[in-house]
Amino acid sequence: MTTKEKLKQILVEDLNLEDITPEEIEDDEPLFGEGLGLDSLDAVELVVLVQKHFGVEIKDMEEGRPALQSINTLAAFIEDKQE
Amino acid sequence: MNLLTQPVAIQGIGCVGAFGRGAAAFVEAMQRGTTAPQYHDDLHGDGSAYFPAFLATTDGLDDYVPKRALRRLDHYSRLALLGGCLALDDAGISADQRDRIGVIVASGYGASATTFGFLDSVLDDGDHCASPTAFSNSVHNVAGAYLSMQLGIHGPNLTLSQFEMSVSAAIYNAVCWLQQGRVDTVLVGGVDEHCAVLNYCYRRYFAEEIEPQRIEPFAFNRQTAIPGEGAAFLVLSRDPKKSRYGYIDAICAGHVEQRAESVIQRSPILLGADGHRNSGQWYQRCVGNPKTSCSAVYGSLPSGQAFDLVAAALMVRDQQCHAACDRIEEAAQIRQITSIKCASDGQFGAVRVSRWSGKGR
Repeated sequence: MTTKEKLKQILVEDLNLEDITPEEIEDDEPLFGEGLGLDSLDAVELVVLVQKHFGVEIKDMEEGRPALQSINTLAAFIEDKQE
Repeated sequence: MNLLTQPVAIQGIGCVGAFGRGAAAFVEAMQRGTTAPQYHDDLHGDGSAYFPAFLATTDGLDDYVPKRALRRLDHYSRLALLGGCLALDDAGISADQRDRIGVIVASGYGASATTFGFLDSVLDDGDHCASPTAFSNSVHNVAGAYLSMQLGIHGPNLTLSQFEMSVSAAIYNAVCWLQQGRVDTVLVGGVDEHCAVLNYCYRRYFAEEIEPQRIEPFAFNRQTAIPGEGAAFLVLSRDPKKSRYGYIDAICAGHVEQRAESVIQRSPILLGADGHRNSGQWYQRCVGNPKTSCSAVYGSLPSGQAFDLVAAALMVRDQQCHAACDRIEEAAQIRQITSIKCASDGQFGAVRVSRWSGKGR
C-alpha cells in the first residue's frame, strides 16, 4: 500500500468519515474547509495519527500548515521525513 | 414525600435500550416482562464473553442528526443523543423552539468504553500518540455537551454523577431550575453504557454466584443483576398545560433508616431494584412487600431510575401498570406512582409522578 493509499484509509477509518470511501478522496483535494470538510480538531487528530502510523512528527504550525493541505502534500512531507 | 409547590409537567419522553427505542417498544417489553440479554464476543481481546448484558443500538440516530455530525460521537454520546432527540420529538419541540431549554444528564459510569480505550491507547502507544478526540469523549459531561451542540440548545447544561443517586439528583436540579424560572423547559435524563471492563468486573465480582438468566428484582437476597445500557430522557415544563404524561409533584431523598416511612404511602411504588443484593436489602426495608419493577427490561445500570421515570410517566398516562406486579391491586388504575432508587449504602432517591397537579393530588 502506498503512503497516499494508507493516508486515505486512515482519514476514513480513524476520522470516521462514514459518508466517503478512500477511493473517492482526490490526491489534490483540500483536506480542510471546502474540500474534504475537516476542521481544526481533525488537524490535531491527524498530527497524532501521522506520528502513530508513520513515526513522523509534525512539530509545529510552521511544518503543519503546508503539510496538511492535501493528500499529495502530506504524503510528500511523510516520505521526505522518512528518508 | 416533599410536595412541590409548583408541580412540573412531563411534556415528552424518550428512551433507548436493549428493548429497542421509543415508548411503544418500552411498553411492549414491560408487558412481556423481560428483554433477552446477549453475549457479545467482541467485547474482549481474547474473543470471550464473560457475562450476559442488555445491549442497545443507536440505529436511526441519523434520522435526527446528519451522519457527518455524528462522526466524533462514541456509543455513550450517541445513546444520550438518541434519547434526547426522541424526547424532544415526542414533546413536539422543534429546532426553532429551543431558546429557554436546559439540559441535565445523569450518569453513573460516564463514557466508560472510551475512557478505558483511551487509557489503553496511552499504555500501548505512549501519551504522545493518545487521541485528542478520545480524550475529549472520555469526560463525563461529553454527552451533555453533544446534546446542546447538536440540538441547538443554548440554556444551562449540567452533568451529575452520583452513581445510583444520579438521576434523582438530576430531577431535583431540574425542578429547581424550573421553579426559579431559570428556564422554561428542561431536557433531563440518564445514560450509561456497557463495556468490556465492566463485563470483566461482573465476572470477577460475582464469580461465586450462579450466572443469572434474568433479573429478579424482588429476590432481594439474591444476586441476579445483569448489566444494561441505554438512555432515558424526560422533557419537563413549567407550563402545566404542556403536560402529556402527568406531573412530577413530590420528591424525597435521604437514608432509608431515617426517612423510609416518608415514602411508604398509598400510591404504587416502582422499585429501582435491579438484582443487586447489596441494594436489595434496602428496598426490602424501604417498602416492605415488593410492588412493581421494570428493571428486567432495561437491565442493571446506575442511571436505571431514568427508565423507571419514563415508565412511571407512561403508566400515569395510560392509567395502567405496564410492568410486572405481584399484587392484584397494583394492576388497578394508576393515577400516581413513586419511583424509588436505593444505593448500596442505604441512600435513596424518590420521585412521584401524578396524573393531576391540583389540590388533593
